[in-house]
Amino acid sequence: MTSPNLTSLQHQFADWEQVQEYYLAANLTDGLPIVPPTETRVQAMLEYSGLAPDQVIGFESIRQKQITAEKVAINAVMAGCRPEYFPVVTSAISACCEPVFNLHASSTSTNGVTVMVLVSGEYAQEIGMNSSTGLMGPSNHANASIGRAVNLVKTNFYGSVPQEMDNSTFGHPGKYTFCFAENLEAGIWPSLAMDKGFDNHSSTVTAVAAYSPLQVSVFGGKDPDAFLLGIAHAMIGLGPSISEVFVALSPEVMKYVDDAGWSRRQVQEFLWEKARLPAKEWISWRRVEHPDRFPDKDQLVGCVADPDRITVFAAGGAAGVYVDVIGSWGNSRPVTRKIEVRS
Amino acid sequence: MTNLENKLITLDPRDESDHGPAVRAPRPHTLDGKTLGLLSNNKPHSEELLQMIAENIKKIYDIKDTVEYNKGSHQWPANPEALKEFADKCDVAIHATAE
Repeated sequence: MTSPNLTSLQHQFADWEQVQEYYLAANLTDGLPIVPPTETRVQAMLEYSGLAPDQVIGFESIRQKQITAEKVAINAVMAGCRPEYFPVVTSAISACCEPVFNLHASSTSTNGVTVMVLVSGEYAQEIGMNSSTGLMGPSNHANASIGRAVNLVKTNFYGSVPQEMDNSTFGHPGKYTFCFAENLEAGIWPSLAMDKGFDNHSSTVTAVAAYSPLQVSVFGGKDPDAFLLGIAHAMIGLGPSISEVFVALSPEVMKYVDDAGWSRRQVQEFLWEKARLPAKEWISWRRVEHPDRFPDKDQLVGCVADPDRITVFAAGGAAGVYVDVIGSWGNSRPVTRKIEVRS
Repeated sequence: MTNLENKLITLDPRDESDHGPAVRAPRPHTLDGKTLGLLSNNKPHSEELLQMIAENIKKIYDIKDTVEYNKGSHQWPANPEALKEFADKCDVAIHATAE
């Protein structure tokens, strides 16, 4: 049985509890209850964005997966999204389907990798996203449900089910949800959307195949060339030659950087330079998969290949002098998409 | 909630497109006289693992020849042209991962 316009298989249940039991038993949840994806709710999601059910949101070429708006909407409803969140979800899914993102490998790896959804621009505020205190934690509906929707598409539609296609040794807490917004008020530089080449009226979503965030405390000084060295050492923990690093500065740390007159570029170049070590050091720590690729063992090898691969932005609450360092897995490149909202 | 005769009707979130059943390549009755392909994914020790397997197979079967191909990265699919060239050279192939 199908619905008019919607072509997905339908299921009938006597009540809410039966829905939960079925979707849980069929491994179609993240282990938590879902919002029943009724036709009415799915249609509302599609109508908000003006998308036809068969509109292709993305095509992932390795597994030959054509992801339609209808399937994204079903998973977004299940995740608890409101219709106004849907443009962020579809943009994130579209970004994940770019070949450079390498969704297939990042979804199957023994590494602990999830899709981090980083939103920049005014649309985040319009839909009530949290960019301030506790932004990477629970309680904000938009952050929680958007990130969850992306993960449900990945498991339910794409097939990246833990212990099946997803062979992550430890998993990743962000496989439930990992979505937050840039703190525009605390930022001293152009927004990430503008930094990625979009105009100042655009809001964007950046999808990152992300490792777990590593929080670093800053104590006893406001001098960037001292505390950023500590951040560079944290980057070294991620290993050599990872694809990119995202560095979230709390508002107070951002103020230190601003007071010292450092530009975004200076921070990027400083971190890149200080997060380099001779190849022999990395090799001795057993952090290099193919040591023979470094015939010169004294060659300096960076956490990332160049400063452009370090994204620095403001995030988090006013209280606290912290920096969060988030690595991007393997050879997956983060992808930024404009959030298209129907006017 | 959508109710039809007191039923709650929901939609399925899975990919329902029909790609057809996966078809296995025909299996030879014996490896005697066959060319054995060894396809490495470039994981550390994957080539050594493949060589060990090949040596053991050679103890059982009269392998005509072995062909090796390293696809260069375990994170990306093999180059289609290079993979076809490899496939054309062998009758059977073993793909390995290792660490």
